[in-house]
Amino acid sequence: MTDIDLQVNGARRAGRVGDDDLLLDVLRELGHTSVREGCGVGACGACTVLADGYSVSSCLARAVRYDGVAITTADGLPENDDVVEEFVAARAMQCGYCIPGFVLMGHELLAENPDATAAEIDAHLEGNICRCGTYLEIRTALQNVAARRRHDTVKEPA
Amino acid sequence: MTVDSHSGVSAAGSDRGGAVGERWARVDARAKVRGELRHAADEALRSCLDVVVTRSTRPHAAIEGIDATRARAIDGVVDVVPGAELHEILGDAIFTGPAFADQPCLAVGKVRYVGEPVAAVIARGHAAARAGAEEVAVDYRELDAIHDVDAAVLGAPYVHDELRPSVVFGDLAHLHGIRDTNVNYEYVLRHGEPAAPPPGSTTVSHEFWCPPTHHVPIELPFTAAWRDGDRLEILSTTQTPSYVRQSVADLLGLPLGKVRVRSAPLGGSFGAKMYDRLEPLAAALAWTRRTAVRVAVTREEAFLLTTRHGAAVTGSMTADADGNIVAADADVRYDTGAYADVGPRITAKSGMVASGPYKIAQAHVRSRCVYTNKPSAGPFRGFGVPQVTWSHESLVDELARARGEDPAAFRRRNLLREGDVSVVGTPMHSADFVGCLDAVTAALDWEAPIERPTGRYRRGRGVAVGIKAVLTPTISNAVLQLNQDASATLLISTVDMGQGSDTIMAQIAAESLCLPEGSVRVVTADTDVTPYDTITAGSRSTYHSGNAVRKAADAMRDKLIDIAAARFGVPATDVKLTGDGLVSTQTQETASIPELLHGHFGARGTTLTSESEFRTQWQPYDKTTGRSPQVTEHWFAGAAAAQLTVDTMTGRVHVEHLEIAGDVGRAINPALVEQQLTGAAIMGLGHALFDQMVFDEGQIVNGTLLDYQLPSIHDVPDKVTPIVVENPHRTGPHGAKGVGETTIIPLAPAIANAVRDAVGVRITRLPLTSERILDALAAQEDS
Repeated sequence: MTDIDLQVNGARRAGRVGDDDLLLDVLRELGHTSVREGCGVGACGACTVLADGYSVSSCLARAVRYDGVAITTADGLPENDDVVEEFVAARAMQCGYCIPGFVLMGHELLAENPDATAAEIDAHLEGNICRCGTYLEIRTALQNVAARRRHDTVKEPA
Repeated sequence: MTVDSHSGVSAAGSDRGGAVGERWARVDARAKVRGELRHAADEALRSCLDVVVTRSTRPHAAIEGIDATRARAIDGVVDVVPGAELHEILGDAIFTGPAFADQPCLAVGKVRYVGEPVAAVIARGHAAARAGAEEVAVDYRELDAIHDVDAAVLGAPYVHDELRPSVVFGDLAHLHGIRDTNVNYEYVLRHGEPAAPPPGSTTVSHEFWCPPTHHVPIELPFTAAWRDGDRLEILSTTQTPSYVRQSVADLLGLPLGKVRVRSAPLGGSFGAKMYDRLEPLAAALAWTRRTAVRVAVTREEAFLLTTRHGAAVTGSMTADADGNIVAADADVRYDTGAYADVGPRITAKSGMVASGPYKIAQAHVRSRCVYTNKPSAGPFRGFGVPQVTWSHESLVDELARARGEDPAAFRRRNLLREGDVSVVGTPMHSADFVGCLDAVTAALDWEAPIERPTGRYRRGRGVAVGIKAVLTPTISNAVLQLNQDASATLLISTVDMGQGSDTIMAQIAAESLCLPEGSVRVVTADTDVTPYDTITAGSRSTYHSGNAVRKAADAMRDKLIDIAAARFGVPATDVKLTGDGLVSTQTQETASIPELLHGHFGARGTTLTSESEFRTQWQPYDKTTGRSPQVTEHWFAGAAAAQLTVDTMTGRVHVEHLEIAGDVGRAINPALVEQQLTGAAIMGLGHALFDQMVFDEGQIVNGTLLDYQLPSIHDVPDKVTPIVVENPHRTGPHGAKGVGETTIIPLAPAIANAVRDAVGVRITRLPLTSERILDALAAQEDS
């Protein structure tokens, strides 16, 4: 067992973890319900979190390696987060289970590449599965985030 | 895009409340996006022991012995329960299932598929339970196994010694105790007199195959169960809380009132989380061991819980010299795996549409449900219909081509119209196949010639139509509480799993009561609280629960009007309910709902309650013809058209345009309808191109998401157009019907027909992988 300091959504969460404890399980035990196991092998994206701004499949990540790393979960995003709001406006959810992962992938992409094209958005999201098939709305939401950040006009929701 | 009504039924007068037909936001939209909506596994529970099962490594074997010594020695393991031990306590009640009572929650004496639960390990913590499950040693005596559906039809080895139909369905009773067969149910349809093909006629015949596939809702199945005094409580990821309550009550010999089943918003399901999944095991362990248990499975285990039926179809179709379809024949074999689940119902209800939505003088269908030593197949979005549609829409296309006719024009001539009687004997209403076909072909600009390059990339177009009957008979109930402040609480057992039922049921209630967006809250299904509902499945909820909700809300409006009439001192006929409250047309006196209820009860915070039930009826199939004048309450009609290119070097398909349409009667919320049309089509695209479970001697070889391919954002066509066709149903709530399955049904044949158009090969086995396309192109070159 190892003592670690997780920095989750800006708050320090000290804890003792086993060497094999997954970041996914530790975050869920801390109440972060937006972090979800969909496959356990890093192939669906439902467990995505940001670590120092970079996306991580928390189902493959050992918690002990995230001592002191700033973790962001979708449920910890600020009120009026622009990516969240554009997902809501674009109706980019059906069952919604996978959506927090897409939101964080969107944050990562647009921080790196504020002018991401549709093809670049698709390339960045290829590891996230939305079984309800909400991909078009998700793409629109992220295009609208980029447009709003540039003060362009945005696509109206269906 | 919406296509207006052309049928005689008017939806006039239903626009009163300003809610129906509006694109209201999903009730939990922001909570979903932020991941704050609580799913079953997110609920805070009392302290539970974890359960992991030891699974069979053999497809068919007798269990000679189970040694749990090493498992019990693991730190944290509390108990190891073999199936035989539960069988001793519960007797044959351990065998459950919606159509056949054939599936034990832990194997008793025998295993019938690789992955079948054999023993349950109960432990403090999931890791200890998992470690324990791996240490349970099972001594098997191998039996001959049967994996192929057509071999299983022919005879031994038999998966079950005798058939065990459940008590639920009277029409299965004659199958009780039948031995020496793997065919657990057979449905036969005979329409018209067989005759020799007329002169100048054209006949096409093919063998078709759809492989088993998996639903893969991203939320994994989860069940927790515990005793609360002399009651059993269950929290589960289920589409069917009312069914689970009855099934668990039967399993444990408890009255219904002593079993409580709660569901939660589901992270997708598509048929995976219904009937008996993890619930019987959790219930049996919690009850017999007097402990609280939690069963959470991995993705690899979820693949073993249920599948979509693999299906073989031998089909033929004949058109006369004038281009009218005069005969159709289909022999359908559904591979239901080791346990029947709802396979027999699929076999009948999908078999009956195996000749498609066409006017046909003579049709013969034989549809069989067949056991094999594979994981059990159950309901999957489309309920077996996509498999037969794969056959009839491929055949119709070949028939048109054989006659040198445009496939869309050929279909248009032969499609059933309003009032036409289908081959199964039931008339069509609010099922505009022609309208759907015209909508998708117009969206694709079908009449205009397309550029057809002759090099490596070839372009083609295809179209297909689908028909499905809604599950009939079924029951829905609704209880509505109007709160004194004019908000409302709606109690129904429909489960929102992404289809948006919590939103559209709120819209239907709000419509009757002139309430604004956001004012109606739907309570999550809880059998202690919410009334009976048959199932949330088969696209039945908008029509059935929607009707119950509408009746309850209309009854509430009548109550308000009566109370207002007494207050105003005028007859009820002089009182109207508007968005501002109640008004007397005679005296112009008004009262808001809060004022009216405050006055009525003399208190704030009060509730006024109304309730309703809604049931549909059918006439059972005629025993010799399989026909019925009322086989279903209503029909679903849909169509898909695709334009794509085939890379003749790699065999890869790229879908450029996908146009999809469904006749939904009336869209309660057009935005949610469009999402269902598109979502089902994208799922269907996976079935068309790559999605399949691969088995080797009964062992699934691609049962992880590293190996099992699902549609990603890269698979979305360049352009997708969902088209809402509206021909109001005479008894639908505001004319509405369901939509969840409509566009998955014609999707795969539309793609295959476009591939046929592009490169001239007819592929009859799904999916259309690159290898299959390249093989077909090579065979074409050889011939």
